[in-house]
Amino acid sequence: MTSQPRGAIRGRSAIVAAGNTEQGTVPGISADEIAVEALRLTLRENGIQKSEVDGLITCKSYGGFGIDTEIGRLAGLNPGYSATLDYGTCNFSLHLACAVIDAGLASTVAIVYGTNQRSSGNRFSHPLGRQDEASVYGFLNVAGPAGMAFRRHQHRYGTTERDLGHIAVSQRRYARDNPLAIFREPLSLDDYLAQPYLVEPLRRADLCMISDGGACLIVTSADRAADLSDKPVHVQGIAQQTGLRDRQNADQWMRPWIERVAERIYPAAGIERADIDALYIQDPTSVWVLQMLELYGFVQPGGVGEAFRNGEVGFGGKLPLNTNGGQLSEAYMWGFLHLCEAVRQLRGEAGERQLDGLRTAQYCSTFGFMKAASTILSTDRS
Amino acid sequence: MDATTDGSVFWDQAGNATLTFQHCDECGFVRWPAAGVCPECLGRGFTWKPVEPRGTVWSWVVYHRAYDKSLRERIPYNVALVELTCGVRLLTRLTGFGSADPVGAAVEATFEDIAGTGLVPVFAPAAGGTAS
Ligand SMILES: [Zn+2]
Repeated sequence: MTSQPRGAIRGRSAIVAAGNTEQGTVPGISADEIAVEALRLTLRENGIQKSEVDGLITCKSYGGFGIDTEIGRLAGLNPGYSATLDYGTCNFSLHLACAVIDAGLASTVAIVYGTNQRSSGNRFSHPLGRQDEASVYGFLNVAGPAGMAFRRHQHRYGTTERDLGHIAVSQRRYARDNPLAIFREPLSLDDYLAQPYLVEPLRRADLCMISDGGACLIVTSADRAADLSDKPVHVQGIAQQTGLRDRQNADQWMRPWIERVAERIYPAAGIERADIDALYIQDPTSVWVLQMLELYGFVQPGGVGEAFRNGEVGFGGKLPLNTNGGQLSEAYMWGFLHLCEAVRQLRGEAGERQLDGLRTAQYCSTFGFMKAASTILSTDRS
Repeated sequence: MDATTDGSVFWDQAGNATLTFQHCDECGFVRWPAAGVCPECLGRGFTWKPVEPRGTVWSWVVYHRAYDKSLRERIPYNVALVELTCGVRLLTRLTGFGSADPVGAAVEATFEDIAGTGLVPVFAPAAGGTAS
């Protein structure tokens, strides 16, 4: 018998540093070198010695890069523990780091990711379905399943393209105050609606662009955190769920199984959804933001447009959302920069974008149609 | 291609205007994409058998951008997901809907050569079908 909710790891681990390289086009440097550069900058900017790092968790990146054994060699590390995850978003890496630290396999884990997929020519068009179906019917890019999921949502709830447009418009407004962001030119709702369709009903602004860059987080035990940082950001709770049966699941591209994460994450962190001061949702497409806003219960199903118009979520609203601009406007760092931004906001280091009175932030992400994860972070240890 | 994920029987039979999928010999589960194992009972035995060529449109999109050179001459084109009565969810193309919203519509398979690779299933409004 246990009374402890799953993922209730409050007070046991903390993020002591978050950092990144420049974003956009970073030619003439390999993806692994970009990852190591992110590690170097993060350690230097946070005054942490490389010798403190005894755990390394990497993430595969386009072109077969991102393997821990290769990055460890480049970075001159012999960590006590290392691993490579086949997928990004940083949530899965962070949860593994927390478990590794809890198990005593390592005490301070560097999570790194680097990609040069823009410079090396990834067109983001690898088939998502089986080869035959994708090539025969031309079903390429995440815009296909995401567009279908949005159409289905429109059919069920009467959601309009204007409703969806609020997501990209709000994120662009945040990005205008973010010097790191690639897309900073103004975007109004009318500008959004005037964009041509790429995969109807989705437009350019609903889909993230490929970019190069690197990011890094340093995670350690809550007990050691004070030695490494004046402002540690504590991991309050974690939760995951998969939908690995893929298209055998009903409504798979609406990803209803994300709701299981929503049911677990608040008990895990010992807080209520209403306690979240800032929300981060990983966004290869705006449709994923729409889905997670609903599945985590931040807006009523079908109510996303109204929630933005009434100032409940988004820029200038009660619940700030993707204050970095997200993947749609900042950069395609596979969600890593959402966590970097959450850490900076909680530490009061977000410059022009700094929110007031922030204590608790939540990050929600998904690996396509396969996995979902969420983390709640806080300035408080417990 | 891995023999256990070989779906060529499906494409070959489409050439004969038939929808054919793997049926599990143990539990009867109908699966697609092709696989060497039944995801319900984990049995390895299967038989390719035709199914009723009817279903319901889950959703659809229209590609206005070619994400591969080979698709440049095809845009704009639609792609849909159809839920067949046998339980399989099949990627396909819709035809014959005009300006009507196909989501939830009853459809039946017809066969056309849309990619220069021979006949493949596409779906049209079912005769006497009603939207659900
Ligand atoms: Zn079976």
